[in-house]
Amino acid sequence: MMALYEVRNVSLDLAAPASGLHRLLPGAWPRLTVLSGVSLSIGTGEILGLVGESGSGKSTLARAMMGLTRITGGSLAFEGRELSAPADFVAVRKSAALMFQDPVSSLSPRRRVGAQVLEPFHINGVAPPYGEKTAQVMLDRVGLPAALAQRYPHELSGGQARRVCLARALALDPKLVIADEPTAGLDVSVQAEILNLMTGLRRELGVSFLIITHNLAVVRHVTDRVGVLYLGRMAESGPTRQVFAQPGHPYTRSLIEAEPKADPRRRRADLSLKGEIPSVLARPAGCEFHTRCPVARPRCAAQEPSARMLSQLRMARCHFAEEDKMITQGGDHGITLEH
Amino acid sequence: MSEPLISVQDLSVSYASEEGEVRALRDVSLAAHAGEAIGIVGESGCGKSTLAAALVGLLPANAHATAGKVMFGGRNILDLDDEGKRRLRGRHIAMVFQDPMTAFNPVITLGAQLVDFQREHIEQPAAELRKRAAAMLKRVGIPDTERCMASHVHELSGGMRQRAAIAAALLMAPEVMVADEPTTALDVTMEAQIIHLLRELRRDYDGTVVIVTHHLGVIGELCDRVYVMYAGEVVEEGTAEDVYHTPGHPYTRALIACDPANIQEPLSVLPTIPGRLPDLVKPPVGCAFASRCTRASERCRSVPPPYVELGTGHAARCHEAQR
Repeated sequence: MMALYEVRNVSLDLAAPASGLHRLLPGAWPRLTVLSGVSLSIGTGEILGLVGESGSGKSTLARAMMGLTRITGGSLAFEGRELSAPADFVAVRKSAALMFQDPVSSLSPRRRVGAQVLEPFHINGVAPPYGEKTAQVMLDRVGLPAALAQRYPHELSGGQARRVCLARALALDPKLVIADEPTAGLDVSVQAEILNLMTGLRRELGVSFLIITHNLAVVRHVTDRVGVLYLGRMAESGPTRQVFAQPGHPYTRSLIEAEPKADPRRRRADLSLKGEIPSVLARPAGCEFHTRCPVARPRCAAQEPSARMLSQLRMARCHFAEEDKMITQGGDHGITLEH
Repeated sequence: MSEPLISVQDLSVSYASEEGEVRALRDVSLAAHAGEAIGIVGESGCGKSTLAAALVGLLPANAHATAGKVMFGGRNILDLDDEGKRRLRGRHIAMVFQDPMTAFNPVITLGAQLVDFQREHIEQPAAELRKRAAAMLKRVGIPDTERCMASHVHELSGGMRQRAAIAAALLMAPEVMVADEPTTALDVTMEAQIIHLLRELRRDYDGTVVIVTHHLGVIGELCDRVYVMYAGEVVEEGTAEDVYHTPGHPYTRALIACDPANIQEPLSVLPTIPGRLPDLVKPPVGCAFASRCTRASERCRSVPPPYVELGTGHAARCHEAQR
């Protein structure tokens, strides 16, 4: 089956903030790598999760997929068509929509909600499908009352603003919605409503979603597959259930273990993940995770790990991924190791 | 049990609004003892931030306490004048805000601010105060304290910023530290680190920590006792263990149920809490949660529920609650 959106080996380098000296000297400016060799594919009706800490490049990848940031290597393809010229992305933006991270700042404070959800039609020169009732139909689709069309963004609650952004993203019946932190800052009951709304739209309309988040509980419950980004590289990817049941990369395992537990009986004694994500300006040599990895060995600092396939669907970029996986399997399930 | 360090007794707070008095807190009582970490949990609009503000004597100008007391050191904080409250804050009761970015002055270095905070309360040469600030930054896990002191708040990462805010709060070794959503703005890894830090600090700090949050995970990892709030009332209190494992109020049960972090097997539809908060200008006569409760009867809508004791220190405000 052809993927709806295919990201192949994408890299994105930016010119590093130049010091005074570099501005005066001819020749190459230092580059910094924001994304490196990232691949992912989203099938029709699939919900893909992308997780990682702040600074891992999640939002940059989303912007690049919409043509809002130019990639410097690799390729992007939507419905099998390569995307290169800016005009290609104009077409993509009719079939794919981006929900920005901060719903309040992505809505204009001076226009009523009704006018804002109709914007995609005006921008793309498409007649609103239900005439004057269009705004009402769109708000209804995301579970908002029609009266909300007359309100201004500052009169909305966090959950309502989120729904308005989702309604606007769905205006042109997109095949794909890229949602950047769709539930950040929401109460758990409202978060559950937004997630149910998204899975419902997938079920009823076959919309695909790319959900970018650092909330692992969200990923575990609504996504089919997950990719874990660390410092602009895909550390691990695979079917969500399998990745959570048996993470192949120490970073994924650390993220899962870092989740606070509501049950006081499951309180953890210690944290496995120390320190902070390094800056892209000081990317560690070898495996970029080795500076924080609980199981790093000398080889990790010296040599960059390549992507290893743990199964047909699972990838982990760790020197010891397979070995480690076999050990846990042997330990947990009594499977004998084959050498 | 010994005398509580800080307690709230039958506190009611209203906000003036165009529609009338918003009754944000109604008959709230709470007690925190030395060496204890208590959690106040609830969703937006439950009054937890108003309660936190009352604890530190920082109720906004349009809020007024219509009844009740906040007792600390034998005095009612609500009766103190601005100068009295100011002398209490920082020295005896400190607050850590959700967004440390706005808690610090953006145009003054952190070092200068940390020295300044102490000047309010102790008279010592600046060099001495600087030393104390550096030691506290080290204590909260900031590796390069000199660099941190010379930095402005925007130059620090989110995690470092929150550490600095905790250092600022603990600088005068206050008896009570109130932290309002201390990890909400952070990534999961930074959140875990801040939780770890707060837990570690508790070991050599014998004061009281009050954590205000909407995140049950933070409560579970950090708190001994918890108060669950809904629509301006405490609907349940108990040990973190009792409240999580044997919740007595339907709202507590719903809150636990709809957090995907508590659900082991993936569900295609997550539980939610249908309906919305009641209008607090005219709070319901009966149970505040009745309109959203699956088990509500006529009695729930018309008669205020009793605060039923379910066990030692465990109580729920519900007609149906049983020992």
